Amino acid sequence: MTEIRYWKSLAELNETPEYKDEVAKEFREDIAGLDLVDEASKAASSGRRDFLKLMGFSVSAAAIATSCKTPVNKAVPYVFDGRDQIPEVVPGIADFFATTFFDGTSFVNLLAKTREGRPIKLEGNSLSPLTKGGTSARSQASILGLYDVSRLKGPTKGDKAISWDQADKEIGAKLNEIAAAGGKVAILSGTLASPSTKSAIEKFKSKYPNTSHIAYDANSLSAIRKANASSIGGSFIPSYDFSKAKVIVGFNCDFLGTWLSPVEFAGQYATNKVPTKEKPTMLRHHQFQSTMTITGAAADYRYPIKPSEEKLALIALYNAVAAKVGGSGLSGAKAYSNKAAIDKIATELAGAKGSSLIVSGTNNVEIQALTNAINGILGNYGSTILGRAMNTKEGNDEDFAKFVSDLKAGAYSGLIIYGANPVYNTSSGNEVKEAISKLKLSVSFNERADETSSLAQYICPDSHYLESWNIYEPKSGYYSFSQPVINTIFDTRQAQQSLLNWAGEKISYHDFIKNQAAGWGNWESNLENGFVETASNAGISCNVGAALANVQAASGSANGMELFVYEKVSVGDGSLANNPLLQEMPDPISKTTWDNYINVSYSYAVENKLKLWLREAPIAKLTVGGKSIELPLMISFGQPKGTFSVALGYGRTKAGKVADNVGGNIYPLISNGVYSADGVKIELTGKFAKMGMNQQYSTLQEDNNLPGKPRRYRNGIIKEANLKQYQAKENAGNEDREEIKKHLQTMYSYHPYQGHHWGMSVDMNSCIGCGACVVACNVENNIPIVGRTEVYRGHEMHWMRIDRYFSGDPDNPDVSFQPMMCQHCDNAPCENVCPVNATNHSSEGLNQMAYNRCIGTRYCANNCPFKVRRFNWLDYQGNDSFGKWNDYDGATYMFEDLTRMVLNPDVNVRTRGVIEKCSMCVQRIQEGKLNAKKAGRPLQDGEIKTACQTSCPTHAIVFGDMNDGNSELHKSFFENERNYHLFEELHFQTSIGYKVKVRNKDEEPAFEFAPVMDEDNKEKV
Amino acid sequence: MMVSCFSRIMKFRVLLIVCFLSVAFGALAYTPSTGDLNVADAATKTRLEGGKKLFKSNCASCHAVDKDLTGPALMNVWERWESEDKIIQWVKNNSSLRASGDAYANKIFNDWKGSVMTGFPSLTNENVIDIIDYVRAETANPGFLNAGATAPAVGAAVAPSGTSSNTMWWLIAALLAILAYGLSVISNKLKDVVDEKEGNFVADKRTALQKIFTPRVKSALKLFTILFLGAWLVKSAIGLGRLQGYQPTQPIKFSHQLHVGQNKIECQYCHSGVEKSRHAVIPSVSVCMNCHKYVQKGPKYGKTEIAKIYKHSGWDPEKGAFVNAPKPIEWVKVHNLPDHVYFNHSQHVKVGGIACQTCHGNIQEMEEVKQFSPLSMGWCINCHRQSEVQFANNDYYSIFEKYHDDIKSGKKAKVTVEDIGGTECQKCHY
Repeated sequence: MTEIRYWKSLAELNETPEYKDEVAKEFREDIAGLDLVDEASKAASSGRRDFLKLMGFSVSAAAIATSCKTPVNKAVPYVFDGRDQIPEVVPGIADFFATTFFDGTSFVNLLAKTREGRPIKLEGNSLSPLTKGGTSARSQASILGLYDVSRLKGPTKGDKAISWDQADKEIGAKLNEIAAAGGKVAILSGTLASPSTKSAIEKFKSKYPNTSHIAYDANSLSAIRKANASSIGGSFIPSYDFSKAKVIVGFNCDFLGTWLSPVEFAGQYATNKVPTKEKPTMLRHHQFQSTMTITGAAADYRYPIKPSEEKLALIALYNAVAAKVGGSGLSGAKAYSNKAAIDKIATELAGAKGSSLIVSGTNNVEIQALTNAINGILGNYGSTILGRAMNTKEGNDEDFAKFVSDLKAGAYSGLIIYGANPVYNTSSGNEVKEAISKLKLSVSFNERADETSSLAQYICPDSHYLESWNIYEPKSGYYSFSQPVINTIFDTRQAQQSLLNWAGEKISYHDFIKNQAAGWGNWESNLENGFVETASNAGISCNVGAALANVQAASGSANGMELFVYEKVSVGDGSLANNPLLQEMPDPISKTTWDNYINVSYSYAVENKLKLWLREAPIAKLTVGGKSIELPLMISFGQPKGTFSVALGYGRTKAGKVADNVGGNIYPLISNGVYSADGVKIELTGKFAKMGMNQQYSTLQEDNNLPGKPRRYRNGIIKEANLKQYQAKENAGNEDREEIKKHLQTMYSYHPYQGHHWGMSVDMNSCIGCGACVVACNVENNIPIVGRTEVYRGHEMHWMRIDRYFSGDPDNPDVSFQPMMCQHCDNAPCENVCPVNATNHSSEGLNQMAYNRCIGTRYCANNCPFKVRRFNWLDYQGNDSFGKWNDYDGATYMFEDLTRMVLNPDVNVRTRGVIEKCSMCVQRIQEGKLNAKKAGRPLQDGEIKTACQTSCPTHAIVFGDMNDGNSELHKSFFENERNYHLFEELHFQTSIGYKVKVRNKDEEPAFEFAPVMDEDNKEKV
Repeated sequence: MMVSCFSRIMKFRVLLIVCFLSVAFGALAYTPSTGDLNVADAATKTRLEGGKKLFKSNCASCHAVDKDLTGPALMNVWERWESEDKIIQWVKNNSSLRASGDAYANKIFNDWKGSVMTGFPSLTNENVIDIIDYVRAETANPGFLNAGATAPAVGAAVAPSGTSSNTMWWLIAALLAILAYGLSVISNKLKDVVDEKEGNFVADKRTALQKIFTPRVKSALKLFTILFLGAWLVKSAIGLGRLQGYQPTQPIKFSHQLHVGQNKIECQYCHSGVEKSRHAVIPSVSVCMNCHKYVQKGPKYGKTEIAKIYKHSGWDPEKGAFVNAPKPIEWVKVHNLPDHVYFNHSQHVKVGGIACQTCHGNIQEMEEVKQFSPLSMGWCINCHRQSEVQFANNDYYSIFEKYHDDIKSGKKAKVTVEDIGGTECQKCHY
């Protein structure tokens, strides 16, 4: 077993004094939180008096609170109209309804879990042939969007609330006025992917024929359609099947996180990512990238490139492949620097003809044409690229550009905005802003008075998707339904209904879509399944010559530093930014919350002697073509030399309490549809930002570095091997386990576990670090959102985190993700130190936490080697009877009664001053056991699934009973040689197993000592 | 010599006060149950165990051994009746016994304001005798009695810890105090005598009380007062929020006594969630209307209370049709568990096979519902310690192979809820 050096942060890599200092301490005492109690008392001269005052207050407050009368609780039963049948609603039992999440990028078939009529959680729909039960962080978090208090409460005219009747009357009159005058109306939307919505728009158009519908995407892929028009003879995006690909080459294509249909692709991708005894093979994945993404992290080989190099690399690859499989070469292009890599990839591709896939996420016709050409000569069309159109990106950049110029020229009299926000998410924001004010009629369907809607005369707010009927068509012939699972919370109306009303159609949108679905079989069973498929794949072929005709090999050059703009897995293009779950979800790579930032490469930091820091970042001014923005600098491993990268979706100004003024908006700095720029300059402002980052230093106790033994760098926590090693020996990378098992001894008696013994296995090969599990865990377990300041203090409450480790070259490191939650040790170090026995062991192997018993000594957190125990420093849920004294940041989000509707009634809401941690979804375990008991049958394997498990798009997590010899978990633990447990040599006997990460690399993993920054960099800022 | 003698006396006094106070504490302290029967003979023991079980499942919701509940205390019941046969007759069918003109049966009926005891025709004569013998054993053995009284089925008996025994403790404490005082006076006198003899006598001008309450004694007293008050505070704090006996006034005078006791409507008819869900479910007004469309007059309140149902359901009895939109009835919740407790009715009723009355008391005789059990954690835990799991009949439990083997081999008589983790934190708190 090779020793590999893993690190988590810059400071850890360079072992700065500050880092050593931090690691030595258990809690950051300087920022422990007590300073929040009373800033004023800190400033006051006499500490003693303030102490007495505070104490006096506490005592009297406690006295008043306890002397209150016991409240009288009401039990109000459901009311059913005596004339109707009583519906099958049993309070206390959850109902599930199939529905669909689509945010303009990712599409997910979902089941909405409702309790007593209120949606509380979203689960993947395992029947779906597309997403196969997987979900994404965004779809998991979207439940909170329903209870977003920043949504409009009803239609408005200017700042005033009006009634729907008035709105319909006035808007109808204005539309007629415009029509009479021969004026034009534009409907501006994002990607709809909904045939029924489009039909509603058609109805509107038939009443007002002078209407045009323009769709654009904030993060556009319209170049794929344009390139395909000539390459495959159709202006559509084809379907991709990553499960059939043995070699995948990605160019700035985050297909596991943000590209086209990431949940579907991640599921396909993972099928060939896990080598087993029966099938010890894996796909080979190469990724060229201008910033590190989760797709890059999952790749076997990763090549950092500048955005301007992408075309050169593709031309080089095309030529190399063409030389091997036959085909005319392209000449005139500058040479791509990494010829060795291109040759290697070309050889592999040539060996996997018809079972490879080249994809690019760059919105550039030439680049897309090149990927088409390479796929074409490799014969991938018809096998990994299928002829069925994909509709998840429908925007057209040219249409939008024409719309903006027409709008400026005054060609439109009316504008209807539907889900689009051009003032925020395009670089034409100011032009649109000016033009809107001159329109005769401007209406927005957006759910909030956002940057664009607030300029419109009328806002007719659309309902949330969980309150709406709809049909989506993510793939042609695949119809996915959305059904309301709750009445509209506010006085909102579906946009489609508004369009139908204004078109003079006297039909409800529900009946309208029912009519549309008439030919698709039984309406109710379709609705129950959530989808219906009426077509299968169509043939497809590629005209390589026509594809190459798009490419001008010789053109293109870039100067100076280059900027790359990307989309984060969490907030995406910014439309979901007002969701605190997404804001607080750490970015999978940077582990930063509540911010975007300028990623700079490690080399850049060394060359420019950037100061190292742990949690505070220097703020720099980024200038692109005369426009500039101030953002914190982040030294990011894997960021290519000579480039910066910045995420979209931040810097909202009118999204709501959560997202406003979080991060900076990069859209105005780039051209529409072009997500890179050159000639970029940055200069330090001398200011510093406190970043809400976690995992900058030891979130896991360092490996057992015993005195006199060679230093270990988290070996044993992450174990890895390459595929060849695995094929030679199944326990490759895990060889030390045999020896460890020989020495296991304990002075405590073993727990007997008469019945169940719960455990969980996490496959580090299929885990892509997308964070869906983290958000699912948050929603399921009522985990509070704490806000940036608290994350900065190290007070984030997540029960589950995904530890991200780097190894190798800091400019192009390997990445390992390790989902980390309570390990439910059978010899738990936390249990022994609790003075009040608030945490103890159950007869089913769970490490239990009794919140009401906890007195908050935090000894357990101190003694936990995995650092998974979280302490409620403040009243994050607002359940303190003394009110909202800690109102700051976005943390008070849960203080709204409406938002609290999302809370899971089967899980406690914890109060200030207690420790909490992963319970392995004990509420689900209890429910599953009870169901089996009620039916009088043994519990089935797979009947109980934890929240993280159900959310995972790659099914990397398996939960089950170790005592059940036939369970999947039992097989994972006792029949899979890749299985290992953390700190097994210390005999914690953890109930969570991890499976050795196998990379499909030709080189064996090696110990590599990263270059250390010089002393100047190590100074504490 | 004098110093040492003095200090010895002081020690003695302090000791006496300690004695007094610890006895006083004893009066406050919770007496733990022993749980076991102190009967040597194995056959008798099994018989008494059987009696205990029968008592708990049939009698305990109305009767306690040592005090009156809904029904009279069963202590000495064999002395009150003329023969065992009569008791058996009474238990099986008391109304026929009363009808036969039995004097004592009618006396009891009148003493207890005409409340009717449910008949138990299913019990055999031996069953009744076992129950009586169990009560006898309970009465004879206070430890045994405590175990019975704190049994979950008779939750009511848990809260007020026997007042009579408290008085006894206080009496003993007072006696000891008097004894202590007397002894100290005697010892002082003796000391004076000795001192006088030895010529060391110094007249002590302190009064008798001053002599007792020396500074050391005072500080000891202060300490004990603080401890005493502390114990009292903790004890009362534990009781905070416990509402045993809580009987709020409901918006409609719905009588369980009438509906369940008299009309024998199954509990599940209205509380339909009890075998499916964590909530037993308060019925919707439309459930009331299933019958009250036709039953328009009650025996006690005539039409007034039923009119309230009509108002809420929107029913017009004149027209015989629903005319208005229904409105919910806002009942006052009687049984309130804290938010941090997860309780599931279906687990207890469907899986555990526990009768509603075990926790809710003699609901069929309640005109207005009141909280019968303390709903305290100790009460829950006690039941989990003692209740037997329906182990053999439910295939879910087939995974507990060792327990099945133990039962087969006779190593284990029964599997309690505690054995399968029923007293662990996350059974109820998560």
